[in-house]
Amino acid sequence: MEFGNSGSLREDGIHLDMDRLKKGEVNLGTSIMAVTFKDGVILGADSRTTTGAYIANRVTDKLTQVHDTIWCCRSGSAADTQAVADIVKYQLELFAMTNRKAPTTQTAAAIFQEITYSNKDRLSAGLIIAGWDERHGGQVYSIPLGGSLHKQPYSIGGSGSTYIYGFCDANWKEGMEEAAAVDFVKSALREAIKWDGSSGGVIRMVVLTAKGADRHLYLPDTDYKVRHA
Amino acid sequence: MPGFDFSNYNRNAALHARGVPLPKATSTGTTIVGCIYDGGVVIAADTRATSGPIVADKNCEKLHYIASNIWCAGAGTAADTEFTTSLISSQLELHSLSTGRKPRVVTCMTMLKQHLFRYQGHIGAYLVVAGVDPTGTHLFTVHAHGSTDKLPYVTMGSGSLAAMSVFETQWKPSLTQDEAVKLCADAIESGIWNDLGSGSNVDVAIITPDKTTLKRNYIKPNERSQKLRSYAFAKGSTAVLNEKIIRKEDISDFVSVHEIAVEGGDSMEVDT
Amino acid sequence: MAAMFSQNPLMNGPNYSFNDAPTVNAPEGARQHRFDPYTDNGGSTLAIAGADFTVMAGDTRLTSGYSINSRHHPKLFKIGGTTADQKDATLVLSVVGFAADGEALKERLDVICKMYRFRHGKPMSAKACAQRLSTILYQKRFFPYYAYAILGGLDEEGKGAVYSYDPVGSYEREQCRAGGAAASLIMPFLDNQVNFKNQYIPGSGEGHALQERERRPLAREEVEILVKDAFDGAVERHIEVGDGLQMMVITKDGIEEVFLPLKRD
Repeated sequence: MEFGNSGSLREDGIHLDMDRLKKGEVNLGTSIMAVTFKDGVILGADSRTTTGAYIANRVTDKLTQVHDTIWCCRSGSAADTQAVADIVKYQLELFAMTNRKAPTTQTAAAIFQEITYSNKDRLSAGLIIAGWDERHGGQVYSIPLGGSLHKQPYSIGGSGSTYIYGFCDANWKEGMEEAAAVDFVKSALREAIKWDGSSGGVIRMVVLTAKGADRHLYLPDTDYKVRHA
Repeated sequence: MPGFDFSNYNRNAALHARGVPLPKATSTGTTIVGCIYDGGVVIAADTRATSGPIVADKNCEKLHYIASNIWCAGAGTAADTEFTTSLISSQLELHSLSTGRKPRVVTCMTMLKQHLFRYQGHIGAYLVVAGVDPTGTHLFTVHAHGSTDKLPYVTMGSGSLAAMSVFETQWKPSLTQDEAVKLCADAIESGIWNDLGSGSNVDVAIITPDKTTLKRNYIKPNERSQKLRSYAFAKGSTAVLNEKIIRKEDISDFVSVHEIAVEGGDSMEVDT
Repeated sequence: MAAMFSQNPLMNGPNYSFNDAPTVNAPEGARQHRFDPYTDNGGSTLAIAGADFTVMAGDTRLTSGYSINSRHHPKLFKIGGTTADQKDATLVLSVVGFAADGEALKERLDVICKMYRFRHGKPMSAKACAQRLSTILYQKRFFPYYAYAILGGLDEEGKGAVYSYDPVGSYEREQCRAGGAAASLIMPFLDNQVNFKNQYIPGSGEGHALQERERRPLAREEVEILVKDAFDGAVERHIEVGDGLQMMVITKDGIEEVFLPLKRD
């Protein structure tokens, strides 16, 4: 349960820390992404949870709802990200009740950042917040390890994302149709799962539009081609 | 948060820094499993407790009561599973009394994960939480760091790989109660034979909307073999260097004595 | 023979054979990469010398960590026979600790005993073989065979002989010895039942004047019962002991070998 010294940044400021998980902790080895498109935003994730080399859960749901049409993708420590998401979910529910209106994606992202930044020495959480709201439509915010907040047209994260930077850069287009965006997310995650050993299982997606949240499930049995449920 | 006493922390840290080893807690090496079926949920556990390579208890209970409709199987540090489950059991009962509703499994799971997350993994409790409540049948795992999973079949502990291999080959989406009990018992047995941290007997609990059935020592595949001869010593074999007799009626001169009536039920089990 | 009682040669103190060694003074955050050539494969052995026989025994479980690598891996080896099946062997070696080192040690001693037999036209005596085994072990003083060896046979007078070793070659002849994972469980039982330690003759005196129970050589049947009961007991309380019991009885007529089942959990 000890933390290493390796948690601190070096002078160069780019030191990547591979040793942040506490001993025996459940890890979301993960490939996650969120993409804006013409009518909204799509979140996507693999479903593998590991403890060391063992797959503790092969059908994990890493896409977590924090409000009606505001969701997040979780990577890093399962315990940390679940705890943070639970707190934010509560805060947003309270927000909606006191202000008598749904929170914006930006509000949700700001609450996430508040928690992750002020506890950055204690958390290993890499989050992508994506949501749809009346005012701004589909939006994507990324909160990496240190607790910084970045608004992006699309975002990828987790260990598997390193394999698909090139793919996403080459294939992402502004204002895609829904079908094209689903296809983009699916092919990107398929590639990440293929190359990253810590990612695997099924592909889960959530499509957030004016019509609400729509869940997609793609199984490896059908080579992720057929949509189940 | 009251509860833990940290007054020896600095002394122990100083001793440890000078090379004094930390005391070793009894770990329930353990195989624990759970499985949902049509009409309820089954959880099961082996009964071996270890301290390093030594068997500390050959027939311990790893199935813990939370509420009449919620039970918990525990792996990890024996004391942590015992105290964490009984703490949450108490809180859940009070919660149930104040709300006037039956306790829910998600409530129990959330209380457990928040308690364990607060202690950042230092409370080494790995739990399978199962139960039936007005919202349906539920099965969760809770890890010591506070992460949870919701699955139709689960395994935990050092024998979890052996047990999961049984589930991954024999589980099917629709099971009868008998099939689920058999599947869970087989998974535990796989742990008993193939994992050194697990052994002795199989305990099973079946939870349905109507009632919970606890089957203590459901399978006993490891009865101790008969010794080949008697090792009784003739009376007087042990050297007595000095002797002092205190009569029963005089014992209260040395300690305070209370007569307590024990009737089967809640008395602690004694190993024979 | 201090090392005899601490089961792991790499550490001092009353540590057990289980792979649970604390990392001493490892600077936090620093990670050392080092080749570790030793594994502890668990298991337990036992040898008792009688008036005209020696009984050797060992369980057949081979472990690493919480896993069972084999349920039938013999730890007893006949040494110095002239044929492939060792049917004319006169000595038995038992090894526990690191199985690969045990195998290598047995192979070396066997070759040496065979060479001696072919050169001199007679098998090596237990005493000579015991001394030679000590030399083999000490030759690797700074990269030891991680093996606790016990050598069993008959001495020049035909009496049972048991020689026990630490991993670097310190040895002595004994009446009985338990080795390996459950040695600390079995040895006190043997002290009490073979050498009658802590047993006094009832009513033979007061306090310190009480007479100790007199030692007598045990019959072969008695010894075999003790061995079986010792292992049944060890299986109950030690997780690395189990599956099968291999037992060899060395007499002037040869070596008899039996395998008996043990609990498999």
